[in-house]
Amino acid sequence: MSDSESVEKNGIEVSNEYVENGTNKLIVKCKFCGSKMLDKKSGTFVKQEKDLPLMQQETGKDAEVQNEKVNEFYHVENMYTFENIGFTHTVDNYKYLSCADCDAGPVGYYDMNTKHSFVALSRINHA
Amino acid sequence: MAKKTYDLLFKLLLIGDSGVGKTCILFRFSDNHFTTTFISTIGIDFKIKTVELRGKKIKLQIWDTAGQERFHTITTSYYRGAMGIMLVYDITNEKTFDDIVKWLRNIDEHANEDVEKMILGNKCDMEEKRVISKERGEAIAHEHGIRFMETSAKLNINIDRAFSELAEAILDKSAGREADADHARIAVERRPSRAPPARACCS
Ligand SMILES: Nc1nc2c(ncn2[C@@H]2O[C@H](COP(=O)(O)OP(=O)(O)OP(=O)(O)O)[C@@H](O)[C@H]2O)c(=O)[nH]1
Ligand SMILES: [Mg+2]
Ligand SMILES: [Zn+2]
Repeated sequence: MSDSESVEKNGIEVSNEYVENGTNKLIVKCKFCGSKMLDKKSGTFVKQEKDLPLMQQETGKDAEVQNEKVNEFYHVENMYTFENIGFTHTVDNYKYLSCADCDAGPVGYYDMNTKHSFVALSRINHA
Repeated sequence: MAKKTYDLLFKLLLIGDSGVGKTCILFRFSDNHFTTTFISTIGIDFKIKTVELRGKKIKLQIWDTAGQERFHTITTSYYRGAMGIMLVYDITNEKTFDDIVKWLRNIDEHANEDVEKMILGNKCDMEEKRVISKERGEAIAHEHGIRFMETSAKLNINIDRAFSELAEAILDKSAGREADADHARIAVERRPSRAPPARACCS
């Protein structure tokens, strides 16, 4: 599969310095503790708009989950591709992904229907 | 694309009475009551961790078990696929220690017969409230021929080590079955621990 093919597949220009041949060029790590989540080239870059709960929710008041829109993800088909990762209990057919070492998250989500995982580029570090 | 990136996959379960600290063992102990994170509110179902043992890349899938479950309600489906079980009691609570025997019986009845077990005496940071001596823990483990360790989820003492040892025991078992004539025991590469130096109570 050539680079241009994977770029055109989604009809979106991939101008991401971390993506090479459609996958993550670098290791994916936790932003907070550096725990290794994904090895190089193990996630496929996808653009899709999703609401993802904020890592830090405001306390007090009525517990309405605060979200933000996230557009860039690494798609991971098999959960055992992850090096270290946590899966939360299921909420509305999703599990959320967290750091296996410091529990920071969500760094992405897991779809119970497709059994695929999606890691938000904005919630992790590349190394 | 779908190349396998590991050698072995071990499914591990945390089992034990309510309140012994199973969830804290899986979830980093947080005593920060002023902020809540989304993750801590929902709770962790399981974790995938990768360890290297004797040159093999092993994925551990570690499951917490539902709090209110009691040994008499846990049946075969609960243990399905489990290759290792962490049986946890609380060193400050006699009842949770007495129940270890019942849990062991339940495991014998319902789990895969060659499931690897390990007993954990958790909360070893609470020396002043201790009611179960380390010797009693060691004795019951010895009696049943299984491994034992004291842990603290709070201070992160022996947690990673316990999972490494359990994984190693499962690896030994499967290696034995393969009748592998390789006697050379390669040193186990442990993952660097984020734990402070182990306290005397748990060493
Ligand atoms: N001091 C101390 N307290 C601990 C430790 N581990 C857990 N606790 C406390 O023990 C209580 C119960 O811990 P949990 O992890 O919720 O226990 P559990 O085994 O998951 O209980 P169930 O989900 O009801 O089965 C909590 O208040 C924890 O803060 C530890 O290592 N040291
Ligand atoms: Mg629990
Ligand atoms: Zn982390």
